[in-house]
Amino acid sequence: MSKELIRLRDLCMAYDNEPVLNNINLYINDKEFLTLLGPSGCGKTTTLRIIGGFVTPTSGDVLFDGVRINDVPPYQRQINTVFQKYALFPHLNVFENIAFGLRMQKRPDPSDPTGKRMMKIPEEEIRERVMEMLEVISLKGFENRRPDALSGGQQQRVAIARALVNKPKVLLLDEPLGALDLKLRKDMQIELKRIQQQVGITFIYVTHDQEEALTMSDTIVVMDKGSIQQIGTPEDIYNEPKNAFVADFIGESNIIDGVMVRDKLVQMYGKQFPCLDGGFAENEPVDVVIRPEDIDIVPVEQGQLTGTVTNVTFKGMQYDIIVDFRGFKWLIQTTDHSPVGARIGIKLDPDSIHVMKKSAYSGMFGDYSSFSEEYDELDDASLALDEEESGDEE
Amino acid sequence: MKKGNFVFNRVFTVLVFLFLYAPILLLIVFSFNKGNSNIVWSGFSLDWYRKLFSDRLIMQSVYTTLLVSLLATAIATFAGTFAAIGFHALRRRSRNVLTTVNNIPMMNADIVTGVAMCLFFVAFFGLWTDFAVWFNGIQDVIELPTRLTLGFGTLLIAHVSFNIPYVILSVSPKLRQMDKNLVDAAMDLGCTWMQAFWKVILPEIKPGIISGALTAFTMSVDDFIISYFTAGSSSSTLAMTIYGMTKKRVTPEINAISTLLFFTVLLLLVIVNVREARLERLGKQQPAVRRSPTVEKLSAALSTPRGKWVRWGGTASLACIFVAAVALLTGATNAQPVVNVCSWGEYIDESLITQFEEETGIIVNYQTAESNEALYSLLKSGAGDYDVVTPSDYMISQLIEEDMLEELDYSNIPNFQLIDDRFKNLPYDPENKYTVPYAWGTVGIIYNTTMIEEPITSWSAMFDTQYAGNVLMFRNSRDAMATALLYLGYSLNTTDEGELREAFQLLADAKKNGVYQSFVMDEIYQKLEGGNAAIGAYYAGDYLTMLENNEDLAFVVPEEGSNWFMDAMCVLKDAPHKAEAEAWINFIASTDASLANMDYIWYASPNKEALEQYPAYYEEEYDEPLDPEIYEIMAAPAEVLDQCEAYLVLPAETRRLYNTLWTELGI
Repeated sequence: MSKELIRLRDLCMAYDNEPVLNNINLYINDKEFLTLLGPSGCGKTTTLRIIGGFVTPTSGDVLFDGVRINDVPPYQRQINTVFQKYALFPHLNVFENIAFGLRMQKRPDPSDPTGKRMMKIPEEEIRERVMEMLEVISLKGFENRRPDALSGGQQQRVAIARALVNKPKVLLLDEPLGALDLKLRKDMQIELKRIQQQVGITFIYVTHDQEEALTMSDTIVVMDKGSIQQIGTPEDIYNEPKNAFVADFIGESNIIDGVMVRDKLVQMYGKQFPCLDGGFAENEPVDVVIRPEDIDIVPVEQGQLTGTVTNVTFKGMQYDIIVDFRGFKWLIQTTDHSPVGARIGIKLDPDSIHVMKKSAYSGMFGDYSSFSEEYDELDDASLALDEEESGDEE
Repeated sequence: MKKGNFVFNRVFTVLVFLFLYAPILLLIVFSFNKGNSNIVWSGFSLDWYRKLFSDRLIMQSVYTTLLVSLLATAIATFAGTFAAIGFHALRRRSRNVLTTVNNIPMMNADIVTGVAMCLFFVAFFGLWTDFAVWFNGIQDVIELPTRLTLGFGTLLIAHVSFNIPYVILSVSPKLRQMDKNLVDAAMDLGCTWMQAFWKVILPEIKPGIISGALTAFTMSVDDFIISYFTAGSSSSTLAMTIYGMTKKRVTPEINAISTLLFFTVLLLLVIVNVREARLERLGKQQPAVRRSPTVEKLSAALSTPRGKWVRWGGTASLACIFVAAVALLTGATNAQPVVNVCSWGEYIDESLITQFEEETGIIVNYQTAESNEALYSLLKSGAGDYDVVTPSDYMISQLIEEDMLEELDYSNIPNFQLIDDRFKNLPYDPENKYTVPYAWGTVGIIYNTTMIEEPITSWSAMFDTQYAGNVLMFRNSRDAMATALLYLGYSLNTTDEGELREAFQLLADAKKNGVYQSFVMDEIYQKLEGGNAAIGAYYAGDYLTMLENNEDLAFVVPEEGSNWFMDAMCVLKDAPHKAEAEAWINFIASTDASLANMDYIWYASPNKEALEQYPAYYEEEYDEPLDPEIYEIMAAPAEVLDQCEAYLVLPAETRRLYNTLWTELGI
């Protein structure tokens, strides 16, 4: 999984002089599961549509196997797409939906020695391949149903089959699980990963759900405001976020203003903490990320910092508690219960501290003062399906 | 209490429906009436339907209506569908603006649309003439026609243009309901945009397209006003023909055709609604089996490779038939000589048209106008592009005055010799350069002898309070004032303001004293035939038609004298078919044609031989002698005619005074 398949070079896109993509540079390897992750309007769907050929970039190149394909129409690309809300053809049954792409295909007629004459795919082969796909998606026996007589999950699988039956080199998936309920979504995540491994092709996946991205991807591309914020494996992205935006968007983060005293020593709240990061100038102001689950609660007298508990929420596996440290509110996930109003101390191990350079996002995230509203959104499955960038919202 | 409410609701509902449907019901019932009255039921018969299908004017307009509706529907559906797709691709703001623009023509008053289109076409034709003359001048490879006229083409353009909004309106929602990714999905799977359109968009929006097409077709069949202004002289839709026929009276034949039109439109509406209801139901249900097994089998057969040829073959032959039909129509009208005639409704024996066409090979486009004034405005606006018109005396002088008539070549009209000398060189055309008389008659008082004891002899009856509430007066200023002027002993053509004011006062006083039941034109038929009024002033020929339905009616030309009128055939200036027009005039002036016409319209012919031979003709046709009294009413003898005066065109100043006084009267 090393061969480069797709490269985006200096990609820019604007609608009506409104920039939606700024200088996107990205390469995608063969057989990779790559996820474009970001909030609504970050440009991820536009990027996907450019790869699919549905929109032409304002500037920059799209290379496929080293060949520039900017002007190649969608129907000539070896790429297929699974659309938001599936976009199954309502007037065709499941079989015909899946067979649609095969019926459009032409290939050289083997009986013609010049190889110029083209022929359609024979009906028997179409039937065979469609039935095979139905097996892959576990929907045998559904071939005569109309799409509106299927459940959401079934429609989803038909949409995937309809794309995969064409044996594309790349499958684009635009928030494919957005319309499913939580349980089904979890099942489909595993199912999708399985299918990807089974067919062995590149998946480019668009989502705003960080958990989905972490679960399935080989590589995650975090985007915001039309720019790539970070590219990396799920572990990299989670453990070593590049800036406050990434830290906040992926998982929960407390982000505190700090100063890098010297390598491996950072200062917050006037106190110095040993850490593992280096490569900063001396006394450079930095953002310090501390994940809520990495914080140990200790008795006040042993604490490196002390604060007051202002809110406690029972989450099953753990308690989410909000602790006020001199006016800056932290989220701490712990299995120990501390009542509201209690004074507690915390201890931070060097490997629980991650230091980031200051960025445009500094100071915008990582404070849980406005906790209640933000908290509600975290697990909101129906978080507005991206009607993003294109501006033709209905 | 509750029960009372229930009964009240029932009764109220019944009344509402009665109010809505009673008139149509009446029309349908009387279309099956044996007699020709709309009041007296004389038994069931299908005669009027039979007559309808043998009426060439009506059948021709049915053909025109169907052809224009089908063509307009096809074109508008095509254009409207693509327009809707175009709208849909736009940003929301521009789309909303365009949708509003699209909706305005539907809300707009038809009359405004019609007049505007007519003006537009006429203006365009003007520019075209300039262009064509210039273009033909600079080269002689292509000869452009310099003269364009309103006709089937403009009618079709008008219908297409008012149909398009309806198609857009019904296709747009289907596009909005469609998943916007469907086209992308199809293209993703290997379709070009055009293929995606056929394979995905079209099946999705098909219900919208079909209801759009049905609505458009209904609108086209239904339309009168816009057609009226854009059809010109050579085409007439069914609605226009019906309107023309109602000029004289609503015959049961009109009832029959209206009934058919009503049911056609009703059927279309039912189809549209049932379709929509069914689609809605299917949308809710699980769509298990949508098609019958036969349909399924057929479509399976059609989707096999061999079925493909059947499909293409079918489409191709349909297209051929369509093209052939259009070619036939346009070819037929272009290749053969034509004459465009405009006359009044129910004013010719239509078998004469067929006879003329058979004898000469010239196609007659026979149209009707409502009144002299309507004809005049048609001619002035350029909408009436006729060869031959049949205006009345005073209108002829006005047309001559305004240089709108062509001098006739009487060597092409030998039958002019047959016109009685009394009717040549009349004041409206003193040197007889422009006209050949068509029919004439007198105005008199019609009264019901069972309601009026002593015979009426004077115009005074029209102002007499002893008949209060039983008198019907003309609803047009010239004729109404004439009755008063005649009674006062003044000339019909007086320009003296004092005399006119005196006449007006007479009318105004009678009105104030409740003499008049109402002011009427053709409604007089219903009122007098049904015995709802006792006295009315009207035309002799119409009296004779009324007499067939009510034998108690009598007619008198009062002793003070009366108005007599002459309608004459003239050819319009620069008429494109002058030779054909003269052939037509000559044919109509012949003795045989005059006799047939007299027998049909009950107005006297100016043909001397025909006037003499008519009683014999009548006896032969009907096996009974013609009542001489009736013949005298139809063709007033010379001594009666001598007492009568024809209208002359009034000076503008006097016409204004007429308008002022008429407004003052407050009809």
